[in-house]
Amino acid sequence: MVRLSKYWLCKRLVLYIALLIIAILMVSPFVWMISTSLKNGPDVFTPIPTLFPINQKTGNIYVTLENYHYVLVKKGFAIAFFNSLIVVGIVIPLKLFFDALGGYAFARIPFPGRDKLFLLLLSSMMVPGIALLIPRVYITKVLGLYNSLWGLIIPMSVSVFDVFLLRQFFLTLPRELEEAAMIDGASRLRIFIQIILPLSRPVLAVVTITSFIWHWNDLIWPLVIINTPSRYTLPLALALLTSGQSHKPHLTMAGAAIATIPILIVFLIFQKHILKGIALTGLKM
Amino acid sequence: MFRDTLKIVYNRYLKKITMSSFRHGESLIGILFVTPVVLYFLIFLLYPVLGALYYSFTEWNMRTRPVWVGLWNYKHLLFDRINYPYFWHSLGVTAKYTGIAVPLSFVTALVLALLINAVQRGQDFFKVAFYLPVITAGAAVATMWRWIYDPLYGLLNIGLKAVGLQPQRWLGEPRMIIPALAIISAWQCGFAMIVFLAGLASIPSRLYEAAEIDGAGAWQKFRYITLPMLKPTTFFLLVTGLIAAFQVFDIVYVLFRTGGGTIGGPGQAGLTYVLSLFDHAFRYYEMGIACAMSFILFVIILIVTCLQFRFVPQSYE
Repeated sequence: MVRLSKYWLCKRLVLYIALLIIAILMVSPFVWMISTSLKNGPDVFTPIPTLFPINQKTGNIYVTLENYHYVLVKKGFAIAFFNSLIVVGIVIPLKLFFDALGGYAFARIPFPGRDKLFLLLLSSMMVPGIALLIPRVYITKVLGLYNSLWGLIIPMSVSVFDVFLLRQFFLTLPRELEEAAMIDGASRLRIFIQIILPLSRPVLAVVTITSFIWHWNDLIWPLVIINTPSRYTLPLALALLTSGQSHKPHLTMAGAAIATIPILIVFLIFQKHILKGIALTGLKM
Repeated sequence: MFRDTLKIVYNRYLKKITMSSFRHGESLIGILFVTPVVLYFLIFLLYPVLGALYYSFTEWNMRTRPVWVGLWNYKHLLFDRINYPYFWHSLGVTAKYTGIAVPLSFVTALVLALLINAVQRGQDFFKVAFYLPVITAGAAVATMWRWIYDPLYGLLNIGLKAVGLQPQRWLGEPRMIIPALAIISAWQCGFAMIVFLAGLASIPSRLYEAAEIDGAGAWQKFRYITLPMLKPTTFFLLVTGLIAAFQVFDIVYVLFRTGGGTIGGPGQAGLTYVLSLFDHAFRYYEMGIACAMSFILFVIILIVTCLQFRFVPQSYE
């Protein structure tokens, strides 16, 4: 018995050590990003990588935020950050409202042809996004949204997958709640806002977080819609910085950190929701 | 006369709707509720699908009217190697990338999932750590790795030198580009890992207990219980992984975009299919060609999806 538990302990120790080494490898690009972004230009290119910024002449450890300041002010990252916030801040409530409204009707309010319509909607999920790109750009131009932040918002304001996800959730809610409210004379809209939405907080949270990550990171749509630097979003500003200044890693790393840190914070706060959501929906977030 | 027409129209089209709304009293509200979604569907989903198909038979630069050219775009993409030298090339690059990156990230994800599954405490910590690369923006991922792949001062080459291996010019040499991209995709395997973990959790423990009673070792349990039971998970991940790999764009775009020069990296070795499509559409304004390319991609993805439905056992157990 004693020998067995010793073997057991040993095995577990090996497992943890292996996992820790892999975890360090996986996280090291992030650590390296932050570390480089805090260094002055001359101290970046060292034959032996240093975790902390060390002045190559004097050997002193220091920290500088100069790169962040430069990228934010001179390279338009402050504006881009603000633009990203605006887009995400408008697109998510809009999308949540439209998707939930539609999902609720598809789940609960019968009308002629409803299920056929829903099937038609679902079939559109088979088409890869890239196949829709060019006509979408064209229709965005026709609607007069080209090169504006609204062009990043309106064409992204509904997600069929989220309609589907919400509908499936609404189907699981007990009908009695709605019926009771209806007997009391509440309208459908009121039932939807005052009963259904509060009950759907968990699934709305999943949709919110996935949307946030998706829209915050999206590169290709802003890339084809926006061509004025003052309307760039963060990924766009970063793509431009990287292609122009790749010989100055301390600047590009500061830019990458600005684009990444908000997502990391959101992820660390909501990690339980997110990881559970993936396992439940099979949805990549 | 007018009233008659109205009556016919009413009887034929509207009676059903109004009658049922009498019955339920709320058909109209239902239709109202789905209106935003349906409008969006018509403008941003249905029109683009049909539009992409139509434009693929035209010559179009998005400024003037499209001109019908029949199968010209398809014919020249497929057979004209002089004017469109990169169609088959980019398809090959994408196939090669898919063939290396998908299995590599698969194996990484499975190993990570098995390791995490084997420990009792700290599972959440490792899940979070391994998922960080997935939620990071493609643009940021490419920026970070461009610095890690730096031939002289990059973390990877310094590490290789430290353990006595030959440093590589990761992004500077055509033959190293696909491996470099595959390493990034293995780094981003967190999604597959989480799905594998869910798959592992759904395997009933009685199977392992029964096998233990029969004297099965760790390898036998893995080979004859874990792997077969993970089959549906694996198929799901395989299909989503293939589809995602076919469409890889953000990372290659940021890695190889060098201020207006070549877009696909040295020797165009990183010119993936979507990157080439993007180039045709938004650099040369050959929308017809680009739409034809996007439709070919759609068909390829459709075939992969259908194969999945054929080979995956629909109801497991």
